[in-house]
Amino acid sequence: MDFYQGKVLRVDLTSHTVTTEPLNMEWAERYFGGKGLLFRYLWDCVPHQVDPRSPENPVILMTGPFAGTNVSTASRLVVGAKSPTTGILDDSYAGGSFAPEMKFAGYDAIIITGKAPQPVVLWVKDDQVEFLAATDKYWGLKTSEIEDALREDLDEEVKVLSIGPAGENLIPWACLSTDQFHKAGRGGHGALFGAKNLKAVAIRGTGSVSVGDARAFLADMRRIHREYVLTAFNLWANEEGTPILVDPVNGAGVLPTRNWSAGWFEGAGSINSESLLKVKVGNRACYQCAIGCRQVHEAGGVRGEGPEYETIALCGANCGVGDLEALMRFNRECDEWGLDTISCGAVVALAMDLTEKGIADFGLKFGPSEAYLAAPGLIARREGIGAELALGVRALAAKYGVPELGMEVKNLELPGYDPRGAFGMGLAYATSDRGGCHMRAYSIADEVLEGTRPPDTMEGKAAQVIAGNVSNGFIGQNFSSIKFSGIFCDFWAVTPEQLAQMFKHVWKRDFSEEDIMTMGERIWNLGRLFNLREGVEPDSLPRKLYARDSAFVDGPSAGKAIGEETFEATLQEYYRLRGWDERGVPTEEKLAELGVDVRL
Amino acid sequence: MPHIVINNRKCTGCHMCELACSAWHEGMYRPSVARLSVEVNPTTAAVRGRSCMQTACAKCEEVCPTGAIGRHEITVKAEGLEPVSGWVLRVDETLCDDCGLCYEVCPTGVIRQHPDRKVAYKCDLCDGDPQCVAFCQNPNVLAVDVRQSKVEKAGVPA
Repeated sequence: MDFYQGKVLRVDLTSHTVTTEPLNMEWAERYFGGKGLLFRYLWDCVPHQVDPRSPENPVILMTGPFAGTNVSTASRLVVGAKSPTTGILDDSYAGGSFAPEMKFAGYDAIIITGKAPQPVVLWVKDDQVEFLAATDKYWGLKTSEIEDALREDLDEEVKVLSIGPAGENLIPWACLSTDQFHKAGRGGHGALFGAKNLKAVAIRGTGSVSVGDARAFLADMRRIHREYVLTAFNLWANEEGTPILVDPVNGAGVLPTRNWSAGWFEGAGSINSESLLKVKVGNRACYQCAIGCRQVHEAGGVRGEGPEYETIALCGANCGVGDLEALMRFNRECDEWGLDTISCGAVVALAMDLTEKGIADFGLKFGPSEAYLAAPGLIARREGIGAELALGVRALAAKYGVPELGMEVKNLELPGYDPRGAFGMGLAYATSDRGGCHMRAYSIADEVLEGTRPPDTMEGKAAQVIAGNVSNGFIGQNFSSIKFSGIFCDFWAVTPEQLAQMFKHVWKRDFSEEDIMTMGERIWNLGRLFNLREGVEPDSLPRKLYARDSAFVDGPSAGKAIGEETFEATLQEYYRLRGWDERGVPTEEKLAELGVDVRL
Repeated sequence: MPHIVINNRKCTGCHMCELACSAWHEGMYRPSVARLSVEVNPTTAAVRGRSCMQTACAKCEEVCPTGAIGRHEITVKAEGLEPVSGWVLRVDETLCDDCGLCYEVCPTGVIRQHPDRKVAYKCDLCDGDPQCVAFCQNPNVLAVDVRQSKVEKAGVPA
């Protein structure tokens, strides 16, 4: 089969055994790859109601059919599991070069179960698989150190997916790192690796990916790159990258500031794109990406990629930090210890808030300080204040009797857009398949960035969250589901019609826009079934973000509130549009119409 | 004389060039046998590109005992660049006996033994439409270029 390798590697860490099996091509045709195919394998591989931290809970590394070809941006890796943090599915994506290397080694997916008796590194070189003892040599290393060590010990071209000390110590927002700066950040996959005594997967592939008539495919990709990729609509990402969002989001009054107590940060001018461009030293790209969004900066004794917008929002504004050098150092600390910056910024901001309010004393105040910079390392090691902060936002706020201060959905800390001035994001967070996440429906693009929809009404937002604004390439839940099955990067504003042009090469038949959107909706419904099976919390949002009595009192979004009744009504409207019942359970008619091949 | 130059300072390390090179020559994506290479160290963000200097170097041609490496006329018309005419060094696989002398003298390591065919293989500028240049995507960071070498500009015979 072209594009797919047709092979899955199964690894049992408990017994140190590996087997291979054919990729299920019926599932691939139905769910394509990436997110969709991952969900289907999760449905099959996750034992019902399994304890997420038990050895039986698998971690799946999944590629997309286009990884390892000239299809721009489609090199991403998705890591999936039943999350130990949220208890529901979590599909977390990383750029870099790991997924193409997996393909060149001959695998579409790697399914890892069990728990190694002692810490190990899984070393995959084409069809050779070894379990390297990690206790003395690799355990305890930070993320750049483990990559350097494995490159030196194994192969200079080896690609590494690793955890830092945070993963070893089972921090709920420990992430996976690859190519140093690329993270599968959300949902605690690092803690899952840690629970399995798996320090890293190292991979080297020297094989090939076939695409049929390679020269015809090259010619078509040249056309697609010229017409659809290298356009002004995408190249903002090369020129400025995600820091470009700081000014418009702050200007709209929806930039989370000092633990979500304001939507406008007076210090934003020193951590915005303009400030970062002054310390920019170059661009880097993920494998097979024409856009090259990775901004390399040098400041505060730190040289590296980032910070990205979400880091600026959560670790900067939300911690009251408008000091670029401090922010870059904090970002690097999170990278090296192996912590997701969204959740880490959120929990440090909460600790600052609790301290300032006199509820607790973590020695942390809003603004840059030595204590702020020390927090990631303390959390990763569970030392000092880190032991308590490692609870995460929900449990920490609950412990001190102030759950209203914890901004999370389904125990996943919220990213950098306050719904109080961008109402659609409220519904997007509440209904996201993995908890508080902006990467399923990015309503903010219409509401704030492009101004194509009014931000302060819920009218039409349920439909928008589901469908997106696909003519502009803005994701909604259905479209992101199929786009991330490609696995395309969000920074290419690809349209369903353009996806159809590329899908045709894979399955040698025509796809309509409707086919593409149906596949996306099918995948979203499959994810919903998985979450219902495992026991998902009711869809909700922190009360503060929609209740009338907690609207901002000043700033550009002052006085705006979704309102309790409107929020509930929009949620019901969303379920109706989805063809789900009033509790959010997909109906049999809807599942049959979409061709979902599993049932509760 | 045309040859491919990789600007390490401008290169983003996307590897599109290696992918396109292997697809064109091998009929499938296999960057480990691409005829140019870009090495990226993720920790330091350093990039090191390697490509064939063609007749500006020609050490492989000089050392080849069987005459398998020969000069052929070529006009390179890369997208967005002026056409460049000159010579390209190609391997005649029917004459190559895999003696390995060229592998040893190549200063950039881009003439190598093919892992399957067990003969030398190298950059041939894709019949004048170099795929690496076509797929070096970012117009702001054009890293693969077709240029005259300084030696040739100075009129020194290759």
